Amino acid sequence: MSETVTPTTVDELRAAVLDRPGTIRLAGAGTAADWAGTPAPADTVLDLTGLSGIVTHNPGDMTVEVGAGTPFTQLREELGEHHQRVAVDPARAAEGATLGGLFATADSGPRALQYGSLRDLVIGATIVLADGTVARSGGHVIKNVAGYDLTKVLHGAHGTLGVVARLVLRLHPTPQVTATVAVPCARSASADLARRVADSPVEAAAIQWHGSDRGDRLLVLVEGSERGADTRARRLAEAVGGELLAPDDAEAAWEAHAASVRARPADRAVFRFGVIPSSLTGVLDGLEADTGGLAEVTTSPRTGVATVAVPADADVVAAAHRRVADAGGTSSLRQRPAGADLPAFGPAPASAAVLRAVAASLDPDQRLGRGRLAPWIPAPTGVSA
Amino acid sequence: MPERTMEAPHGGTGSDAPAAATPPAPVGPELARDFRDVLPADSVITDEVGRRSYECDGLTGFRQVPALVVLPRDADEVAACVRICARHGVPFVARGAGTGLSGGAMPVADGVVISLQKLRRILEIDVENRRAVLEPGVYNLDISKAAKPHGLYYAPDPSSQQVCTIGGNVAENSGGAHCLKYGFTTNHVLEMEVVLADGSVVTLGGPTGEQAGPDLRGLFIGSEGTLGICTKVTVRLLQTPEAVRTVLADFPSIEAAGDTVGDIVDAAIIPAAVEMMDSLSMEASEAATGAGLTVDAPAALIIELDGPADEVDAEFEHLTAICERHGATRLHVPTEAEERQKVWKGRKAAFAAVGRISPDYIVQDGVVPRTRLAEVLTRIAEMGRDAGLRVANVFHAGDGNLHPLVLYSEAAGEHDAAEKLSTDIAELCVELGGSLSGEHGIGTDKACSMPVMFSPEDLGVMHRVRLAFDPDSRCNPGKLFPTPRLCGERPGKYAPHPLEEAGVIERL
Repeated sequence: MSETVTPTTVDELRAAVLDRPGTIRLAGAGTAADWAGTPAPADTVLDLTGLSGIVTHNPGDMTVEVGAGTPFTQLREELGEHHQRVAVDPARAAEGATLGGLFATADSGPRALQYGSLRDLVIGATIVLADGTVARSGGHVIKNVAGYDLTKVLHGAHGTLGVVARLVLRLHPTPQVTATVAVPCARSASADLARRVADSPVEAAAIQWHGSDRGDRLLVLVEGSERGADTRARRLAEAVGGELLAPDDAEAAWEAHAASVRARPADRAVFRFGVIPSSLTGVLDGLEADTGGLAEVTTSPRTGVATVAVPADADVVAAAHRRVADAGGTSSLRQRPAGADLPAFGPAPASAAVLRAVAASLDPDQRLGRGRLAPWIPAPTGVSA
Repeated sequence: MPERTMEAPHGGTGSDAPAAATPPAPVGPELARDFRDVLPADSVITDEVGRRSYECDGLTGFRQVPALVVLPRDADEVAACVRICARHGVPFVARGAGTGLSGGAMPVADGVVISLQKLRRILEIDVENRRAVLEPGVYNLDISKAAKPHGLYYAPDPSSQQVCTIGGNVAENSGGAHCLKYGFTTNHVLEMEVVLADGSVVTLGGPTGEQAGPDLRGLFIGSEGTLGICTKVTVRLLQTPEAVRTVLADFPSIEAAGDTVGDIVDAAIIPAAVEMMDSLSMEASEAATGAGLTVDAPAALIIELDGPADEVDAEFEHLTAICERHGATRLHVPTEAEERQKVWKGRKAAFAAVGRISPDYIVQDGVVPRTRLAEVLTRIAEMGRDAGLRVANVFHAGDGNLHPLVLYSEAAGEHDAAEKLSTDIAELCVELGGSLSGEHGIGTDKACSMPVMFSPEDLGVMHRVRLAFDPDSRCNPGKLFPTPRLCGERPGKYAPHPLEEAGVIERL
């Protein structure tokens, strides 16, 4: 039975790691507790929600340092008072996800088209290693090439390698206007339509296809100044035969999109993948045929990333990983029914050898997040940490 | 002011600590023979004159003739060369165009330089997916040239972009004048093929930003050649903006110019570029270029907006109003592309032009939080006065990246004082919450200042990661991490890079 510890400072976090022998599972708000590999039973659960809140925020510098356990929506609210934001929009933010959790799971939302993911916005971090070492990398300035960008290695590490205690993020101004254009569109036509949008001078912040009970449609997000953004959205709607949504409708459309991404349909597992955009339609068609039908489909035709719900069957999921790997892409498993034993990742890439070497160097006994990156980092045999 | 630490600040991790690499065995004739087995004879350079031409990069004060230089022609040959180095236990330094400004490509004695200048094919411009696949020796500007017919371009634009390579950009995580809005190399590289220290070849990153597992791609970018050699790079291409507008604005004081930048950011405008020049740098630049700078203005900003035409028009109106509110004494708005180029030339020529007003100079590169710009400039002016030296300032104001030019006379015996002032300025940036380097890298030049910015624990963890990639520290040893051997040495006098003298590159 694991014991839960909730440190409230970096020192307490370090002490918790040092004082407790054995394996440690990191936890935030728990919105992605079933993502990636199934964690091995841990002696201690380190609850990071106690490391919450803004550490420093100097609005003029457009940077903020926060505790890893800070809920994304709380930070969004506080920054909003200064007309600033962290320019990512992951679906599970609405469920209370923390910055550290979103970072560790490499989550991102529709705006990744323009702003990338947290790996593009985090400019520094304080981390605690399994041996109690506290280290900082990066800093508080956006432009900085001093030393390794160590922070990157914890982006997508799913609670292995080290504990993120604090993050420093680059901020963007909140746009004055956010407008959404919806274009009815079958999935098979979405690639061509998205390309037309991308080739127009609109500079969309997000382009997503979503199949829902409102119909199948392409949603285009346009952000900018009061005068500029509306004009651009109208021009686009005219050019591609879409409709400029009223603010309430726009909000509902994106909320429905996010709800699909974070859905937990019965007997299904949520499969997230990225392939070169021109392969996306083919891979989706293949997955559709392999699995006998996809659910909760959202795709980003210009980035090549999609989230789909597939039957929660080990063979089906393994085949889906293989199909993406054969197309040169990357995939990982997200939400799944409790207790389902499903492969989290596809075949190990050649770089898994480096990953294992990095893991052996930073956390030689695999105390942190054991099992999360299995089978790429296999759990040690005969090692008792 | 923290003292410059001259001894290695070893991390608290015993043998894992940053330290000088074990001295390699002297290079014998077998090594050259092994290289000739996998490369044509003229691609293995053993003669002294040939090797000497690789002795330094753009930072000419640090020199070291390598034992051997090899010029592989493709990724397989690079991997073969690295395997030979591994078998012989000799260190190697990857080298692109050698335009770096921190001694990052300085060779190692008894080591091999692996030049990537023959790997210069653009493998693919993929218009549909907006990406380019490149060999590491492709010049940065050539990517945008190849993409231009399709209405696309590659965003990071370091000032040396005509002659620096994408492989070097990956090593240094290069930025450029437009990185305030568009980010750095790390934000634009999707995928890389990398040869590791043992000669194995791996792919880091993927075809999208979607990650399965940790971001080893992001760790590798900016690691200054210490984790391996990149042999293929896939970068994102962006659509050429519909509109570009530029203004050159003169201000009655540095503070007024700095406040203007603050208000622009507060107005939710992210310009593509915001550059500031002080009167000394304008005086030099105007004498060299006749770009139309006002030489008696205390400060000037060059601000560029790009994007959709409606958006740019709206923001530009707002922007010029902000300039006027802060007492701008002149607003010059070039309307033709040619006129705009002229303004940029005035900015970009500032470095080399400083040679007109001073016999010698040192280029520094540091970053402060943008809100501390006025403070750091005041402090730099005081430090210059105390040292009896002039400092000209040209910088990327939007992101707080300074490039102070310390002017001095070697003949008058001012070298050491200038070197000290320059180092003190970089370390002052750290004191004010910034960084030792915004774009030139640490390399050999600033390794000894790293302990000012990072604790022994921070450096120790970086070094543990390095050893995971390269257990024998054979990839570009002696760079980035402080070592007693390095930090006991003094750099020589700065001399302009030949390409700089020829006006092909400049140092910002």
